[in-house]
Formats: sequence, C-alpha cells, structure tokens
Amino acid sequence: MAAITCEKLTKRYGSVTAVDRLDLAIGHGEFMVLLGPSGCGKTTTLNMIAGLEEITDGTLRFDATDVTWQPPHKREVAMVFQSYALYPNKTVRENIAFPLQLRRTPRAEVERAVADVSEQLEIAHLLDRHPSQLSGGQRQRVALGRAIVRKPSVFLMDEPLSNLDAALRLSMRSLIKHLHQRLQATFVYVTHDQAEAMTLADRIAVMRGGLIQQLDTPDGIYSRPANTFVASFLGSPPINLVEGEIAADGRFARGALRLDLPPGAVAPGRAVTLGLRPEDVAAPAPGLASLEARVTLVSPLGSETLLEVVAPGDVALTLRVPKEWRVRHGDSMTFGIDPARLHLFDRQTEARL
Amino acid sequence: MLARLNRKFGYDERSAAILVFPVVAVLLVVAAYPILYSFWVSLHDIVLTRPLRRPFVGGDNYLRIFGDERFWLAVSRTTVYTVVTVVVTTVLAVLVALLLNETFPGQRILSAVLLVPWATPSVVNGLMWKWIYDPTYGLLNALLLKVGLIERYRAWLGDPDLTLMLIANAAVWKQMPLAALLLIVTMKAIPDDLYRAAKVDGANVLQRFVHVTLPALRPGLMLVLVYETMISIRHFDLFLIMTQGGPGDASFTLSWLIYVETFRSLRFGTGAAMSYVLAMATFLLSWAVIRWLGKRI
Repeated sequence: MAAITCEKLTKRYGSVTAVDRLDLAIGHGEFMVLLGPSGCGKTTTLNMIAGLEEITDGTLRFDATDVTWQPPHKREVAMVFQSYALYPNKTVRENIAFPLQLRRTPRAEVERAVADVSEQLEIAHLLDRHPSQLSGGQRQRVALGRAIVRKPSVFLMDEPLSNLDAALRLSMRSLIKHLHQRLQATFVYVTHDQAEAMTLADRIAVMRGGLIQQLDTPDGIYSRPANTFVASFLGSPPINLVEGEIAADGRFARGALRLDLPPGAVAPGRAVTLGLRPEDVAAPAPGLASLEARVTLVSPLGSETLLEVVAPGDVALTLRVPKEWRVRHGDSMTFGIDPARLHLFDRQTEARL
Repeated sequence: MLARLNRKFGYDERSAAILVFPVVAVLLVVAAYPILYSFWVSLHDIVLTRPLRRPFVGGDNYLRIFGDERFWLAVSRTTVYTVVTVVVTTVLAVLVALLLNETFPGQRILSAVLLVPWATPSVVNGLMWKWIYDPTYGLLNALLLKVGLIERYRAWLGDPDLTLMLIANAAVWKQMPLAALLLIVTMKAIPDDLYRAAKVDGANVLQRFVHVTLPALRPGLMLVLVYETMISIRHFDLFLIMTQGGPGDASFTLSWLIYVETFRSLRFGTGAAMSYVLAMATFLLSWAVIRWLGKRI
C-alpha cells in the first residue's frame, strides 16, 4: 500500500498546459477515480503517476518518498491499459509471468504466482493461448493478471473497460471492485464513464482543462455538484439546467415559470442556473413546490419511465418517474419538487451557490 | 456447349479474363517464354562457336557443373558475399530504423537523405565505390592517410583478402536504405502502449527491444532477409564494374561464373544450367527463411 501525494503537478507540452498545478492526495488503499471528458488531463495525470510522462513541474510522492524523477519500474506501480497492451508473441502464461521474470523471481515462485492469479481471474484454462486467440474480456483479465501478479502497492488503470461491450463492462466492473477489496491496494482509475466512476470510486476527482473541478465521494459529487460542468457530467439522463433569475419574492423565475426555493437561498435579482435532476420529482404534496408541465414524449424503461415535458416559459425538461405513473403523450400534469433538492449555480461563474 | 460455358464463366469472370489478358500475354512473352527456353537450352549442348550443332544432352550440363571446381569455388565466394551482405545490411537497417523511428530535430531530413543511396543506379554505385577505393585518387586512401591509419596509398580492390568485403560494403550502402524503410514501417505499427506496459513491468531499453520490438519486427525482418538474400546471391553489376571476378579468383561469384561461361566462353548450355541452379538455390533459401521466421508470426 502507498499513499500518493501530488503537489502542484504540472504537465506542459510546449505552450499547451495539459495538467495545471494539480493538488491531489490519494490515501492508502483508496480507490480514486479521475473522471472527465477526453482532453481533460486525466490520462496525463495517470501517466505522470506511472512515470510514463515526465513531470514538468511540481512534486509527486509515494508515502514520504519523492518519486518525481523515478523511472516507472522503480515506482512499483502496475498499469492496465484500454488497449490491454498484451505482448502478442507471448502466451497468456508468459504475459503474466513477464514482470516477475524481469525481477529475476525464482521459476517455482513465478509458476505458483501465475497459477494463483489465473485461478483468481478464472483464466487458468487460457494459459497456453496467445492474446490473439482471446476475446476482449479475456484479454483484459489477462492484463489484470499481469498487473496483480507482482503485488504492487499502486494500481493504475487507464480506461480499462472502454473497449468492452456493455454487458462485459458490468461484470468486469464488479471484478475490479472485488479485486480492490481483496488486494487493499491503492487504485487510481481513469475513465470518462460516469457510471464506472460512481460505482467504483471511494472518491472521484472530476477534471476539466487540466484542473480538478471537484474532489468528493460519489454521493457528494452527485448530490452537491460544485459547478454546472460537474452537475451535467454525472447522471443519466443528465441534469436539467435552466437559466433564469431570482425574482423579488425569492423564487426562481424564467419567463412564466416560477419555482419555490429554500427560503433565503440567494439574494433576489441574481442571474442563476437552476439544476433539477430528472429523478427529483414526485407526486404533488404539501411542502413540495408544484410544477405544471405538458408531456411531449413518454419513454418507458421498464423499471421506470422517462418523460420529456415542456414547463411554462417553454422550458424543456427530462424527468424520471415511477413506472406505475400512467402518463400519456399530451397529458398536462403537476409534479411535486422538493426545493431542498434543487441546485443553484451562478450563471457567470457556473459555481454552486 | 456455349450455354454451359456461359453458365460456368459468368459475366464477371469473362470481363475479368478480358481485362487481365494483356498483362498475361506480356508476361507469357517476357517471363514464361525465356524461363522455359533457357530450361530447354540447359538441356542441350549449345556452344555459340558452333551454332548449328546443338545436340540434346539431358542432364549432362548439370552433372558437368557439379564436377567443375570453378563452380564450387564460386559457390563458396557467393556464400561468403551473400552472408556478409545480408547480415550487415539487416543489422544496420535495424539500427537505422530504430534511430529514425524516434522523433528528433532533423529526423525528416535524415529520412529523406537515407533514400539517396537506394535511388542511385547500381552501375553508378559501382563506379562511385571503385573511385573511392582507387589506388591513386581514391577517397579512402586519402582519408586513411590523413587519419594516420596507413602510411602509403594501397590498391584496395587488388587485395584478394579484402575485395569481396569491399564489394559487399558497396552493396550494403545501396541496399540498406530500403531495408531500413521496410523496418521503419513495421516499427511504426507497434502500439505505443506495448512499450509503456513494458516500462511499467520493469523492462529496460534492451529488454523492451528484445520482448516488444523484435517480435513485432518479424514480418518486416522476414521480408528484408528474403529480399536481400535474393538480391545479393545474384549480384552481378558490382562485380562487372569493380573487379571482374578478380584479383585472381577473389571475387569469382556464381553470377560472374555464369556470365563468363555464357558470354565469354559462349557455352550457352552450361551457362543456362548454372542459371537454373542459382535460381533454384535462391528459391530454396527464400523458402527456408520464410519457413523459419514465418511460422513464428
């Protein structure tokens, strides 16, 4: 196990700054997910932690040791790549054994370790095959095997599931989570998939433009997004964002639309963006703000139903309601909204209010 | 009958046949006919000084070759020359490819310059190296004298111990660029993630070369080895221009022997038979290389 400390970690390519003075402390055995769209600097950060990318500025520490200038193999990290990066000329057995052989591990020990790992990952029957004879899921299992076989203190994963189909992604996700629980090692996991981030992470660092937008637990990120970017990046379907003002009576106003807010939330007259998660609607009830809207599209998902509605002021919203609600296209209905569940952001700075 | 043919060879097949016909016709005239004719020649005792007498001798020409000590001398010279040329070319090409696969200032210019020797016609190449090795005006002499490695000018190509190596050097200079180019193309296709994975796994530069680059290079290496072997084993122009088989028999290779036998002694029958032996040897060697490297890809 190792704690990873990034202090003012910076990566510049010529005049382009990929990662900008990033501060991040990852605890012993923590599962940290770096989440963001492509080009946000998450992979560059991971590569700097791995030692595959030279650090332009700042300090990187594993526990108390400064590893800023250490080459990858001295850092005792293991990495899993999106492309699997298995050695095509080596069998599964040789692929998994390779890191141990480079460390001159005695043959008997290598064999034992390979057998053990392949048992854990259920690839024991594939040991004599070449990567080209494996499916995507099997390849990623081998890549995981190659990573865990030498018991590193830090696991780095660069979008390991992005090349797999949806069903496989789900099962590999739980496999990785089980691995983390069993190995008790520090995981740093890069992804652009919010569902992966939510399900796997102890904490998520949402990144954009080389900067961390928010660092928090999955629940914290989801229920208290720091700005509109974070709010819209997590959640499926995405959060509804409506630009408007705070009216004199303290309510949110956009054209004919009025919504109650928690008392005294924001001073009147301020330009704000309102965030409403699709699932944060209920049947009208006392204590809830009410919202009149006309249903324009009904999409049953089986477990629940997605509605596209138009609220007063021509505001289009996507809502998620229980499947028991009998809703038809064209219906006008009233929804109940708990003011405490609304998110308010400053329209200029996009920051949470 | 016609209907059956029509059914068997539909419109697509017939138009395809019409389209490839010109090429097939040309190949028949310029490739198939000479190959078959020279085989016919190799079975006859044809000597151009007695053009009207051309008895059929069957395999006698072939038997005579194998009893000819000049042939075995030429085989050994050709073997040495080919092995040196192919090995040095391949090793240099791998090194050059490794260098040019990196990005550094001037890398593009260097890649372009690399192709100059390859674009040089081989006669020009032969003349150029002949001048470089020249005993009176040669650049090599001037250079070595200046550096202090020799005390007086030497006739480099006149030294039987060196001749073959000096010609091989000229051949390598011309052939290496294409080989390097082929290897660079193969190298470019190696995914970067493999190197990154190997780095994280703890492989040093040499181990990354052995475990990542070399295995991925196999198809390219096979191509280079086969191609260079085929070229080198049949080299002729350099020998014609630089040494004419000499000094003595120091550069007496198979292709030179075939030339002498056919166009100086005018014994077309044995000349053709020798050509066939050389062609067969080339074919077998290439096949062996493909078998050796091909099955591991």
